[in-house]
Amino acid sequence: MASTSQCLASLVRLSIATATRRPTPSIIPKFLLPSVVTPSFIRHASGSGSGGMRKRAPKKKKAYKTFRSYDQSDLEKYSLCDAMRYLRAFEVGQAPHIIKYEVHVKLKAAKNGPVVRNRIRFPFAVKSDTRIGVICPEDSPMMEEARQLGAVAMGEESLFESIRAGNFPFNKLICHTDSKEALKKANVGKLLGPKGMMPSERHGTITSNLKTTIGEMIGSDEYRERDGVVRMAIGQLGFSPQMLADNLKAVMESIKRDMDGIIEDGHPKSLDEVVLSTTHGPAFSLDGKFNPTDEKIQPQDLQSAM
Amino acid sequence: MVGVIRRMHHLKDKILALRNGPGAALLPENVSRIHVEFCHRMNGGHMGPRKFWQENLPKIKFWNPAVPIIVNRLEILDGPAKMTIYFRDDKTSAPSTQSNIQLNSSSTGTSPAPAPADGERTVVVDMKARHSTDILSEFLAITSAVPVKATPQEEMEMRELEDLKRKGEIDRTETRNALEAERREKARLALAMNEAASIKAAAT
Repeated sequence: MASTSQCLASLVRLSIATATRRPTPSIIPKFLLPSVVTPSFIRHASGSGSGGMRKRAPKKKKAYKTFRSYDQSDLEKYSLCDAMRYLRAFEVGQAPHIIKYEVHVKLKAAKNGPVVRNRIRFPFAVKSDTRIGVICPEDSPMMEEARQLGAVAMGEESLFESIRAGNFPFNKLICHTDSKEALKKANVGKLLGPKGMMPSERHGTITSNLKTTIGEMIGSDEYRERDGVVRMAIGQLGFSPQMLADNLKAVMESIKRDMDGIIEDGHPKSLDEVVLSTTHGPAFSLDGKFNPTDEKIQPQDLQSAM
Repeated sequence: MVGVIRRMHHLKDKILALRNGPGAALLPENVSRIHVEFCHRMNGGHMGPRKFWQENLPKIKFWNPAVPIIVNRLEILDGPAKMTIYFRDDKTSAPSTQSNIQLNSSSTGTSPAPAPADGERTVVVDMKARHSTDILSEFLAITSAVPVKATPQEEMEMRELEDLKRKGEIDRTETRNALEAERREKARLALAMNEAASIKAAAT
């Protein structure tokens, strides 16, 4: 331990070393002052030596078991058509199939425990870019089936020809088990592989059941609850109010069903707020109504080309 | 999710700016659609059209939600910048343009201005190398649109938001100053401790 004289000497040198600076007394940290010369003139407010400012232990942060739920008395809520009118104005001049409406469903939920998570098929597909090609024997019933299921390109040798020509009308490719050998012989792996479109059994893209595979690929979107909120895209900017309402209804029903299952297992969960937004627009809390409040505006006014 | 009050302030700010200001105007019945075309890059006189799209078109769209407003942004460097306003003749019925195939806005230059339909006439405005306010005033003059005035309620809300922003700026300065002072003090303390430690090491 440093003695008093040692400390004082170091202080003198300290002031010499920093002579260019204005010597301020406050620069000397308290711990450098030796304990023996602790000034006796410090007085405490209480007057007695033992009292004074007692140091309080730092407040412990309360750990909440549920996600925060806000008082909604200051929240202004909008009908679906009103929110759409604002959002369409904010997104003016954007390509209507690229910009998406998105919904944020806030739940009253515990931080631990199961989360809402599922897949949904919308009445009106949101994803605008799924084009499916099917490799199946030419002029077979499978070809007709694929066409009915919404595939854009199908066939065997004709499809390989277009692939070799560098023409890809699809961005997802599946193969029927009957055409597996033909696919092997076709030697198109070099062209399809880098694009991630080469059908394989491991990825479930060589299949005997076209209906389920195509059904899984188009029109089904996944959602899950994160931090007590389910967020997902529910429509394209070009949708009419009725189309968006149908999609929104489908999502809400699906989430309600998932919540009921979780509640039955003894984990309380309830709906808190539904918020509508777009890719660039602000967020509008919805009040569950549909019609616009401005009587000069009709719902069909909100489906003009964007 | 962000708290309710903060979200409402943000939303009110955006909405009031959308409902009021230059471009908030009701178009007459005979304006059937608007087509705007300009380039992505601002050099070559495309700054004004772009600002017109960003600042004024949302307001026009809000007050006239049924009028299609199509923006075609070109990728070429030195393209045209023009606005086509389509007027419907009073005699023909309204849905004549609805039956036509209506192009959508595009950011890749794929929706050029369509030819006027039967019973439609067009006015073309050259927007190149002009300021957005200039473009807007010509647009309002051609269409003889009626500007929308803010209601007393909205004016009050705008004043409140202005007040809030001013107070926020004062608070932010205060907090920043306090924080910086604290940091300076900490740095000085660390410097002194370092010097003391090195002197101590030299002495022993």
